[in-house]
Amino acid sequence: MNDNYHIFSDGRVERHNDTVRLITEDDEKKYLPIENAEALFLHGQIDFNTRLISFLDDHGVAMHVFGWNDYYAGSVMPERGQTSGQTVVKQVRAYDDPDHRLDIATEFVSGSIHNMRANVAYYDNRGFDFAEALGDLGHRREEISSVDAIDEAMGVEAGARRAYYATFDEILPDGFVFNGRKYNPPNNKVNSLISFGNSLVYASVVSAIRATALDPTISYLHEPGERRYSLALDIADLFKPLLTDRVLFRLVNRGQLSADDFDTELNSCLLTESGRKTYSKEFEKTLEETIEHPNLNRKVSYQYLLRLEAYKLKKHLLTGEAYEPFERWW
Amino acid sequence: MSEADPVELLLRSARDEAVDVSFHVTGVMMQYYVVCERELWFESRDIEIDRDNPSVVRGTQVDNTAYEDKRRNLSIDGRISPDLLDDGRVVEVKPSSSLIEPARLQLLYYLWYLDRVAGVEKNGVLAHPREKKRETVELTDEAVQRVEDAIRGIFDVVKSDSPPTAEERPFCESCAYYDFCWSC
Ligand code: SF4
Repeated sequence: MNDNYHIFSDGRVERHNDTVRLITEDDEKKYLPIENAEALFLHGQIDFNTRLISFLDDHGVAMHVFGWNDYYAGSVMPERGQTSGQTVVKQVRAYDDPDHRLDIATEFVSGSIHNMRANVAYYDNRGFDFAEALGDLGHRREEISSVDAIDEAMGVEAGARRAYYATFDEILPDGFVFNGRKYNPPNNKVNSLISFGNSLVYASVVSAIRATALDPTISYLHEPGERRYSLALDIADLFKPLLTDRVLFRLVNRGQLSADDFDTELNSCLLTESGRKTYSKEFEKTLEETIEHPNLNRKVSYQYLLRLEAYKLKKHLLTGEAYEPFERWW
Repeated sequence: MSEADPVELLLRSARDEAVDVSFHVTGVMMQYYVVCERELWFESRDIEIDRDNPSVVRGTQVDNTAYEDKRRNLSIDGRISPDLLDDGRVVEVKPSSSLIEPARLQLLYYLWYLDRVAGVEKNGVLAHPREKKRETVELTDEAVQRVEDAIRGIFDVVKSDSPPTAEERPFCESCAYYDFCWSC
């Protein structure tokens, strides 16, 4: 179920009978079983035609395109799937009501801080002393409940993220220096990994939202229009610590990434194709990890947690029942 | 228009008379009313069902394969579609005994609807293929009362701005809204 296919080579993706076929530049053919696919991620230079789009559309498969420098470029979303005027109306009403918007936005921030803190607590238990960072994050989490404007909420979240990222340099092994978040372009290995990881989280959330009839362009913490699918930005923040950062630490601590996996230039550092492959492989493995859900009485995958988050938000908007953000409970 | 009785409202809507807000009740809504009012509220809002969920087993399609009787389907204004046996009786088939009550109410509703809207009096058969049993169902005065109470109850549920809160029910596990209700 819900498999993602990442395509790194250059070439062509096409419909071939009832499957999708990848033909690489050196004429190698690969078939992608599409029945259980959630999305194709195109990282290379890929040609495709309208026949492919219709076919993916029939199967409800999204296609996420990554451009030069790993940047998320856009998605071709299947038309099928959910549309519901009622849901969109409720989404817009909540956005338009300043108190309601702020409530939802602060829940996102509060959940994000909790999840950052969970990562820090993990390392605090494993020989690092992060008492100060933990205190700082805890304090900001309290602070968020009393902000009264979106930009204040943004400020609290930015401060928390700074405190969180400040722990990275201690955790990272030699050869990996972080020294704060830089994007456009990332200036070192760690930043390039975070950029790539975050864009994978973002695209996965775009897929998850599609399953719910929520309109991905109407968001609460981020301003609608900041990105095409700004609601995905809101939800992705909750999951970056669980996905982007854990994958990063795992790969780096196990020595699975080396200098060869990065293209370093004067002011930028980008993952090479092999680096991106290594990262996305581990990322997909992580999405498939499962965890016992406390209310659903069954195990759910991390990928499904993204979908549940969209359901929870939709339920809140339609029923008025409280929205409680994803907070790592294990 | 003054506060109309939901039963009146439904009849007038069914007859395409001018009403402020039309009100329709499908057979499935009758079933949900018995099974779970929250599910009924979701259903009435067209809140989508997670079709990926493999545990979703409830559904009216089961009926079509469960019984070999020759049946004709009579669709009335696209909203209610009772199945008729050759002898003209309305039949409703339910796969499991736990779903008999919902099926019985749906059947009674069809009988009521045929009587009040189409002016045809019919008897019904509730069939339990697994148990090889059939039960005749008639629209007694008491049954009419039950149907009309249900219509009023359904009206209250669907006109409400928010659904009844989730309560764990025996049907939850097989409900399409399970993750919606319980992921919290
Ligand atoms: S999951 Fe349970 S409470 Fe929710 S709609 Fe279904 S039956 Fe009702």
